[in-house]
Amino acid sequence: MLKTFYEGGMGLTTEKQAVVFDFGNEYTKVGYAGEPAPRSILPTELRCPETGRIQRVFDAVTFDEKYDLLVEFIHTLYFRHLLVSPKDRRVIIVESVLCPTTLRNMLAKIFFMHFEVSSLLFVPSHVVSLSTLGVNTALVVDMGATETVVIPVFENVAVLHAWQAQPLGSFAVKRQITDMLKKYESPELFRTRDCVIPATRVKVEKTEPQEASETSAEAGVPEGYEELEEREEDFNYITEKHIEDIKVRTCFVTSLARVQKAEEGNPCPPPPNVDYLIGRSSRIVNISGEIRENAYNVLFEQDGDHISVPTMILDAISKCPVDMRKPLAENVLLIGGTAMATGMRARICEELKSLVVSPQYCDKLKVRTFKFHTPPAKENFAAWLGAAIYGASDIVSTRSLSKEAYLRDHQVPDWVSLIHNVFHDGTKRSL
Amino acid sequence: MSYLSKSDIVKYACTCGQLKSITNMYFCRHCLKLRCGYCVCHEVDSHYCSNCLEILPSAEARLKKNRCQTCFDCPNCLNTLAVRGTTVSVRDPDDPSKVNSQKKYYHACFFCRWTTRDAGLPDQAVQTVSANGWTHKETNSSNVQRVTVLLERARLLGTLERHEREQREKKFTPRSRRTFTHLPGVTSAHVRKRAGLPPELPAPSTIKDTLAEFQPAVAKESVNPLPEEIFTKAVNLFEITTMPQRLAQPEIQPVFCVDLLPAYKHLSTKRSQRCRECEHNVSKPELNPSSTKFKIQQAAYFHVPEVRLVTAGALIGGKDTEVVLLFSNPSQHPTTLSFISLREAEEEEGNKQTEDTSDLADQQGEAASSLSSLTKPAVVLEEPRPISIKVTGNVELPSPDAEITLPPKDDAAEYDYSGETHKSHNDPKWVMHRRANKAAVSFTVTPETGFTGKRCVIGFVLRYTYINRIPSPGSFDQKPQEVRLDTRLFVDCGKICSK
Repeated sequence: MLKTFYEGGMGLTTEKQAVVFDFGNEYTKVGYAGEPAPRSILPTELRCPETGRIQRVFDAVTFDEKYDLLVEFIHTLYFRHLLVSPKDRRVIIVESVLCPTTLRNMLAKIFFMHFEVSSLLFVPSHVVSLSTLGVNTALVVDMGATETVVIPVFENVAVLHAWQAQPLGSFAVKRQITDMLKKYESPELFRTRDCVIPATRVKVEKTEPQEASETSAEAGVPEGYEELEEREEDFNYITEKHIEDIKVRTCFVTSLARVQKAEEGNPCPPPPNVDYLIGRSSRIVNISGEIRENAYNVLFEQDGDHISVPTMILDAISKCPVDMRKPLAENVLLIGGTAMATGMRARICEELKSLVVSPQYCDKLKVRTFKFHTPPAKENFAAWLGAAIYGASDIVSTRSLSKEAYLRDHQVPDWVSLIHNVFHDGTKRSL
Repeated sequence: MSYLSKSDIVKYACTCGQLKSITNMYFCRHCLKLRCGYCVCHEVDSHYCSNCLEILPSAEARLKKNRCQTCFDCPNCLNTLAVRGTTVSVRDPDDPSKVNSQKKYYHACFFCRWTTRDAGLPDQAVQTVSANGWTHKETNSSNVQRVTVLLERARLLGTLERHEREQREKKFTPRSRRTFTHLPGVTSAHVRKRAGLPPELPAPSTIKDTLAEFQPAVAKESVNPLPEEIFTKAVNLFEITTMPQRLAQPEIQPVFCVDLLPAYKHLSTKRSQRCRECEHNVSKPELNPSSTKFKIQQAAYFHVPEVRLVTAGALIGGKDTEVVLLFSNPSQHPTTLSFISLREAEEEEGNKQTEDTSDLADQQGEAASSLSSLTKPAVVLEEPRPISIKVTGNVELPSPDAEITLPPKDDAAEYDYSGETHKSHNDPKWVMHRRANKAAVSFTVTPETGFTGKRCVIGFVLRYTYINRIPSPGSFDQKPQEVRLDTRLFVDCGKICSK
């Protein structure tokens, strides 16, 4: 009685808003539950305290390294973007069903042991995305940075055996742009630190201090120039950031008709070229119409196994029982940053319609109509919004993993683990 | 001063195992342990705007979504916008022949020259432009409305679920709760609140009715086709926003620069740090945002002897060389220093721990029986990390019994240039010289062979006496106590040469 009286504060204090995180490979979405948009969307990277280089958090290899980077990253999220004390606040994390268990346990350890949050709830991104629509059945296509994952959700249950995942995301598009630029433009644009610099620049080799001062004296460069050179180098050559910028600002997803014409041998005239300026010296890189139009085609070209993004959608449908297929095809939900590309939705729609009557699928699938949902959010934070809506209800207090439970067992319940998935008498709990 | 902010030559091992320079550490005067930014609990103290330096109470800051209501960020280059005044001539409505001049204000960015006029926002009549003056282009209001409906639905579904659960529980455990409803003025809602229960739920039938009114999203077969002009129209990159510009406004994420709107400035925070073990503050800033002072600042720099590398001889693998370190006492009390090797300290630590654990078990048994709910929750601590640095040099330390005493820090002595460096009579010969609260000590270092070209790192434990002026709880002894504290130190002496 005493405990509830004080801790509940006689119901005068309202529950603190839970914090919702969606850690992506490229961008992290962070905000509060019950709000229509995240407070911040920011690259999942930070300046490594030891080397001083910008480093992607999920690129870290060893456990300790990743742990430290994540702690640092989440610390900046709390104190620079959310501006709240992490202690004793509920946390909701949007996770992919395919998220490795080690990462999941690492996040739990960080949040409970380092930030001392009061409870933690992992929500599967595909299922919670449906709460942005208010429907129970949809085929969720998550087009992220590293991969595209298709999971059908039927009556709020993920049909897991029909999952499809391929490394067809924005990284694949970026790689395509890089390759095409190397082919059409000069490969010199892509310069790593150890390469030789073109004749216009005198590069001072980064060597030991004494030797460096000798070489710089020879080249007639004042001391301290070396560092400047290092920085300038980053300005003058295409980096990954530039590729992303080119992708976002100039590229688009072309229509199927144009691709088919090009395959037949009479291509349409390409869209106009774009002059792209790089660096302080305003070096001009010519982004040809070819690159602009065809970079995204890498997601639609069928590979050796006849797999592309549209075939993944059709495969996922065909792996479901017959009764589910029509409702799923009529409720397609595209989420993830890559789905925001200009013309993406139109192209997927066209591809699906033409594929379903092609010999590859016409016998397997009898669905002919595909309908697309529009969530009340930008695609890149649709999953976040789903969790924010889900997290504003009572569910967050009943389903979360509490701090006490974690400190007792030091493990996160997981549906794949029989420890958490078995009744006391040993029978398997059915999902 | 540079050594204060950027010094990685002498590193202290924190209690949590992180290696930091002394200027980056705290010293908890209650636990008598070193703490660093990694192992203290950070808390947000106050919110303020870094531009207008206004403090917002945390409740208000939460309400305003952590944004300042008067300052704006440039949507183009993300710097702060400045208010600019201008006079415009307006024709008098009463007398068309007369021209009145009027003062108008707009926002401009001094870095990229973006102005609110670019966004098509009208000029303001008052200098302190509030956002109310700008009727924001309503691009996403339909989305916000829809999300509100969805949130309501999620809440109702959650309530329904709770209702079902409560019904289930009712069936099996009949609750006998004392009712106070016979008392005047006490309602059932009051009683529920008093008992710590959530307020009475609406009947499930009404919830179901409300849910039935909800309209789920409808999927459409038609999608927006790719605009044909994209294949012919030339692209002007200056008209298309970059990713950082888009993400600065997550709700709208405008694609074209025309749609950029000034964003309310993000607030900044003042943070305080708290020791996790004893929950005392180790650092607490003053509330005033323009003040850089602290109410509580227990930096290790004020309590723990500071070590600096003075000289190091040529470091050659396998050969002895002399390394001189300077020790200074920052505290107001004399301190006694002695040196122990890392291995000896580890053994001592091991012995101590076995004793401690048996003691602790006894104590916990007692505590658990007396107080359960009123005691503070268990301290959550990450286990200390092993030291990540590799020691590549052997250092010959004086015997652990040999001690040197450093006098307290005397601010006046700092300016006393007459005092020559002198040696005290009873100093051992490894003390090179002293002055005021400082003493230079020479050590013999032998870099290990096989590390040519690498840094020579030596490690040892510095044992120093500390006057604890905070009485421990429970003891009535108010006198300051002298305690001996250990700190592991790692000194980077330089590069090991080959010859």
